[in-house]
Formats: sequence, structure tokens, C-alpha cells
Amino acid sequence: MSVVAPAIEANPLREGLEQERVPDASCLVIFGASGDLTQRKLIPALYSLAHDGLLPPGQTIIGYARPDYTDDAFRMAMRESCDKFARTRPVDEAVWDNFAKGLFYVRGEFSEPEGILRLNARMKEFDESRGTGGRRIYYLAVPPQFFPTVTELLGREKMVSDPEQGGPFTRAIIEKPFGHDLASAKELNRVAVTTFRERQVFRIDHYLGKETVQNLLVLRFANGIFEPFWNRQYIDHVQITVAESIGVEKRGPYFETSGISRDIIQNHMLQLVSLIGMEPPVAFEANAVRDEKVKVLRALREFPRGHETDVSVRGQYIDGSVLGEKAIAYRKEVKVDPNSNVETYAALKIFIDNWRWADVPFYLRAGKRLPKRVTDISIHFRPAPYPLFNKLTNVTMQPNVLAIRIQPDEGISLKFDSKVPGPTVRTSPVTMEFRYATSFGAEPPEAYERLLLETMLGDSTLFARRDEVETAWAWLDPLLNAWSADPIGPELYPSGTWGPEAADKLIERDGRKWRRP
Amino acid sequence: MTDLTDADVRVDVNAIEKSLSELWRGQQDGEDAVTRAALWNVVAHTSTSEAHVQAAETLGRASAVVPQRTIVVRSNPAAEAELTSWISANCHLVGGGKQVCSEEINIVAGGDRIHRVPPVVSALLIPDMPVAFWWIGDLPNEHEEYVELLLEPADRLIVDSVYFDSPADLALVSRIAEQTSTSPADLNWVRLEEWRAATASIFDPPPMRTRLNAIRRVRVIAGSSDHEFFGESVESLLYASWLSAQVGHAVDANGKVEGAAGSIDYAFERRHQSTDVGGITLVEISFEDGACASITRDRDRGVLVANVDGSVTVQSVTRTLDQQMEKLIVRQLKRIDGDRVLRRVLPIAIKLAKRVA
Repeated sequence: MSVVAPAIEANPLREGLEQERVPDASCLVIFGASGDLTQRKLIPALYSLAHDGLLPPGQTIIGYARPDYTDDAFRMAMRESCDKFARTRPVDEAVWDNFAKGLFYVRGEFSEPEGILRLNARMKEFDESRGTGGRRIYYLAVPPQFFPTVTELLGREKMVSDPEQGGPFTRAIIEKPFGHDLASAKELNRVAVTTFRERQVFRIDHYLGKETVQNLLVLRFANGIFEPFWNRQYIDHVQITVAESIGVEKRGPYFETSGISRDIIQNHMLQLVSLIGMEPPVAFEANAVRDEKVKVLRALREFPRGHETDVSVRGQYIDGSVLGEKAIAYRKEVKVDPNSNVETYAALKIFIDNWRWADVPFYLRAGKRLPKRVTDISIHFRPAPYPLFNKLTNVTMQPNVLAIRIQPDEGISLKFDSKVPGPTVRTSPVTMEFRYATSFGAEPPEAYERLLLETMLGDSTLFARRDEVETAWAWLDPLLNAWSADPIGPELYPSGTWGPEAADKLIERDGRKWRRP
Repeated sequence: MTDLTDADVRVDVNAIEKSLSELWRGQQDGEDAVTRAALWNVVAHTSTSEAHVQAAETLGRASAVVPQRTIVVRSNPAAEAELTSWISANCHLVGGGKQVCSEEINIVAGGDRIHRVPPVVSALLIPDMPVAFWWIGDLPNEHEEYVELLLEPADRLIVDSVYFDSPADLALVSRIAEQTSTSPADLNWVRLEEWRAATASIFDPPPMRTRLNAIRRVRVIAGSSDHEFFGESVESLLYASWLSAQVGHAVDANGKVEGAAGSIDYAFERRHQSTDVGGITLVEISFEDGACASITRDRDRGVLVANVDGSVTVQSVTRTLDQQMEKLIVRQLKRIDGDRVLRRVLPIAIKLAKRVA
């Protein structure tokens, strides 16, 4: 009996395990490690990955920031974060102890070469002691103005490998905002690609890490029944709502420069539009998926020049109450200009000018201080071609609606008419519901968990590509310019309502109504 | 878990379905309507009233995570002739205070009436929904036709090989896997998952992966009771068989194992203990260069700790998961597809069983 040694590439012992894909150990550096994002999202997400056995043994996480922490002080601070924010609470002591052994801190300024060199020296130590083998992931959780400085320093100090040359990988994760407009986005991307190649850049839009957003692809392309109806022949219109009940809270200064359009519409909402509108990709693979998404963005109809208000509404919240609590006006928020004209609400009527979606309106609305927090997509189908039962029932038949709830209470429902039991033909709309919590019980992983893991594995399917970002800005810029040139400003709406009246008129003009999500 | 009704009904499929409809209608009348959900049909087969109660309670708890239509069968050919049934609903609160309910149908059969059980069960399954059959206890080799009929609609057969009294039981499961469309599932295999994950973590670093071909000896120590019962060895057997199956070892009919670097010595040892009988407590994997990887269970910390002496110094920690029966069942049901690895492992385990029999 003789056995020929097979060539072993992937770890065959991972087959069939829940943790079938485990990345190779690397040094993950978080620039801006003293910030809120690190404490509330990144470290808790990394800990939860460790808890679920999804991190390799030698995975090393290095915080880099200005405050003077020791490794131990940093670990203590991060432990508190995990106690408060990790999905997998309470923290498991044994898992934490092992996780904390891979947690380090380097003090330094973003513009200080000495700090970056200290970081490099430590990473080289870990390559030996923890088996990270030169693999690097840089998470740039830094204010946009520091982005060029940090990337240039990394390049200059030869801390970025070239994937064309082979060898250990280097990847960079960039947080939104990806620019303020097309020009700044292009500049940001130009800077990024002077140091990294595009395929090394992972632009995080945390919406893409949500299970329900990923389920849009599964719903559309893993089921045979939906795709034949997913077009202008059967769909009357689409509505997307991203509503938040909170105001700007401590983010006044940021919001003053962004408004809801830059904060939500340019990124999260257009991601949803492209996932709803895209053609089937040739493969579930990063570029195949993103190629199709960017085609949708390219097909977005331009805003009518000089008539932007025909298809758009902007609003700003004033005093009111949300869920029974008093809420102050945007202009009274901390560090907000009392005369600000920044929009906290926007509604748009947009079109995807292609074969599938010609003349099917997509109504988008996003706002703060709305009655509840909800993200919801609804596909409104055309009515049945002939009203067979209307004469009998004297009731107009309701069109079918497929509603996809992104958050909270994630799920999918289908509304259709049914006969009311009894001797006469009476109809009533009924809803068939699928809820994640009901069917799958367990809490889904946090978006950042999925996205960090995908970065470690080198799969950029769930990240925005350069051309997606720039195409989105190119489409939105004219509207933003028109708004900023408009002396009238946003229409005011009381906190706790569904936005300005003009938003209702925007859709009612077309004989339709906003769905109550 | 709430029992909504204990109303006895005749064992008539239409009557049971009608009672279920009435049960749900009753629930919708309240202010907070319940959501009815099911991802699986789960049929538990028991032979004693004690096992029946335990199975119903276990699946009731499992239905909070994996909603299901539960059918619990108590079937005993030696008992008095009878055939009765009753229904109830298992309700649980989920996020947002919503109440989600799953159905439970109980069937008790004795004497020659047990032969009516397979068609009744088959008729009560929710259409287009997968069927898992949980066989509690040792497999009854003496009633093969009854087993075959019951398993006909099953997509998955769940057993717990810790109760197997001989390698013939492993062979029966393996045969079902080979000859029918029913996928095998073993709760003992689920218990092993953390050991598999811990072992896999040793070989995750690329330099370690090549050492899979350099394994020379594998020592597996498992807990044992005073009795020399075959089921106590199965977890160790499955572990060893898995390692060989995945690395590509050749195992001959006598259980001799040959790898790329020559023959591989598997040592199965038992250590007397009062709890976790049959559970692995230590694994050592020795390589041709003399280095040794070990995985030990740290009960206090609830983890498995993997170490390799020599070049790799980073310790790997794998959290041990809850081994309660309903958790094991849930982990089985959360796996949608059949387990291709287990299918591959079973025939090897039967061969290796000669080393521990």
C-alpha cells in the first residue's frame, strides 16, 4: 500500500466546519485607534470574530493613535469596549485572554515618520513571534485630511507590498466619507492609488455588511420566481426609505458639511438602488458583482437642469416630538449654524435609464428625526391587467407589494389579495411574512465583523470600488450644486413627522403614495 | 415554552390537521397575534415514556431557535396494542416581544399498531419542508423494514453514536448514507466539531499545512466508564477517521493506516472518568521530525487549547460549545445540506473500529 503525498494548498481540515474559511494571520493596524469607531465597532467586531473561532491564532491587532497608552492600558480600554458593545456578550474570559495577547498599541502622530517607523519595527517583530509573515492590513479610521499624509508615509517607508510582485499581502480599509464631491473623491482615490493598487483598497460602506443587504442578491439570484417579474413589465415603482428617529446628536459639525444627501444617499442608498437594479452578475465574485452595480449607477438619469425641484425635495427638522420625547430643531443642535440650510431630509424621484427599468420611478427618501428608525425597500407591482372582481366587490384591488426590511426586524413580506371567506366574493389584502429572527433565531453578525473578515480573506465583493464612488458623485453633484445655489433653502418639517409636505406631493403627483414602513 | 392545549384527538390525520388549524385560530384571536413558523419537520423516535418526554422537551427548546413541526413518536412493539395522539404548540418570545409558535404532534403506538406509524407520520409532514428523523437510542437492527418505512421521507437521520453497542450500528448508518437519499447526522460528530476546529487551527499557518503529510502518530484519549461499552469509543474513532479522510490516508480492512510518510500509528486510550464519558480529553499528533502538536481541554476556562512545540509558538484557543442535547440538535438542523465529510468518515470509522473492538 503506498500513498502519494497530495499538494496541500487550502487546509483540508477546514472542510465542512462552520469556520470553513479562516484567513492567514496578519498585522491589522488601526490608525485612529483612540476614536469612537475603534471602541464601539472595530475591536468589538474583531473580538466577536475571535469568539466565533474565525480569527487565525496569530492574528495581531495594533492600535495607532496620539494618546500615550501602553499595550496593557490599550487592552484594558478595549476590554471595556467589548464589555459594552460586542455582539457576543458577556465576554468569554478565555477567548478574551487569548485575543488580548494579540492586541498592541503604538503611540504616534499621523504625520510623524518616527511613529510610523516604530510601528514598522513592531510589525517586523510580530512577523517572527506571531507568524504574521509580513501580511498587513491598514484600517484608516482617520479624518479625511490625514488620509494623504498616512498613505504617503506608508508608501515612503516601504510598508506596502505590491501585489503584482507576489509575496505577503497589504490591504487598506477606507471609511466613508469617500470625498465631499466628485473632485474630492477623485483626489482621494488618486492619493490612494499612488500608494496602493485599486485591488488593495477596501472602501467600507457598512450597509453592504448587513445580512439583509446581502440577502438582496440571494433573493434575486438564488430564486427562480422573482427575476422574471423584476422589470418594467411587472413593476410599477420602487420605494426606498432610510429613516432615523435620532437627530444629528454630537455630529453637528460633520453634518453641517455633509447633509443627509452626502451622509446617506450618495453611499448607502445608492448601494441599495444598485443592488435592486443590477443585472445578474456572471459570478458571485468581486469584480463581476461590482461591474453590474456600477452599470446601474451609470444609467441613472441626470437631474433636469434648472428643474431639479421637480424631482427632489429637501427638508430640515424643527422642534417637535419623536416617540413621545421632545426634540429640538436642527438649527438649535450643538455646533450647528443657527441659520443653517443643510438638509436633514431628502426625497428624490429617480430613473434608471436602461432596458430593464425604463420609466420605472424609484422614490428615495432619507431623513433624521422621522417617526421611527427603519430602512425599507418596497417593490410595487403593476395591478392585475383586468379588474375582474371590482364590479362584484366594489373595491379596488390592491397592487402586490414585495417589502424588504433592511433594519430593524429584518425580513421580507409579500402583500397580495385574498378572498374573504363567505358566500360573497369579497377580497382583502393579506401579507405573507418572512422574518429573520423568527426563522433563524440567532443574532446575525454585525456588519463590521463580516467586512473585517472579508478584508482579511481578500474578498472585496462587499466593498465599494473606485468607479462606483466616482460615478455616484458624478450623478449627485449637479443636484447638490443646484441646492446650494437655491436661496430658498430646505422646507421645514416638525420632528417626528414623515418629512416635509412637498415630499408627499412629489409622489402623489404621480398618483402614488409613500408606503408606511 | 407554553402548552396551549392537551386535547386528545383520534389518530386520524385529517382530525390532527383540523385540530392544528383550530389551535392556530385560537391563538390569532388574542391581542398579540402569534407567528407560526417552521423550517423543518423533525420526527423524534423513542421507545419509552421517559425518552418521549425528554425528546418533546428537547425539541420544544430547540424550536425556539429552529422553528419546526415536531412529531414525537413513542413506539414499542412489546407494549399493549394502542395508537393515540395529541397536539400542542411550543411558543417562544423573539425580538420585539413577538410570540413565535411551532407545532408538536405526539403519537404513541404499541403492539402491532406500530406498523401504522410510518404512514401516519408521512401524512403529517409539512410539504416541501425538509424532514429530519432523530432516532433516540440504539438503532433497532431487528425491525429493519419498520425503520426503512419510517425513514423513507427523511432527508436526514440523526443518531447519537454514543449509544451504539457495536460497529454494526455504524455500518447501518453508513449503509443508509450510501444506499438512500437520507443524509447521516450524528450528535457525537457534532460534539467533535470543536476538536476538529482546534485541530484545523494547528494547520492553518501555511508552514504547518505541509506537515499534514508528516504525521506519524496520533494518540487520542477519551473518558470511559466502568463498562467497556462500544459507544464510548466512537468519538475517538470518528476523530481519527476524520483526520485520515481529510488528509488522504489509506486505511485497509484491518484498520491499518498508511500516509505519505509511511504507516501511521493510531493509539486509542481510555481514561476513567465519571462525566463526559466517551468525550475526547486529549489529542497528540506526532510528526516525523519528532515534534508534537497537542490539544487539551481546559474545563475551567471552557476552551480547547492547541499547541505545537518547535517553530510555531502562538497558542490557539477554541471555545467549547454547549453540549446540551437541544444545542446539538440545533447545530445539526442549522446545517441545511447533508454532511459530505461525515459520509466520507463513516466507512473509515467502521474499519478503524477493529482497533478498539
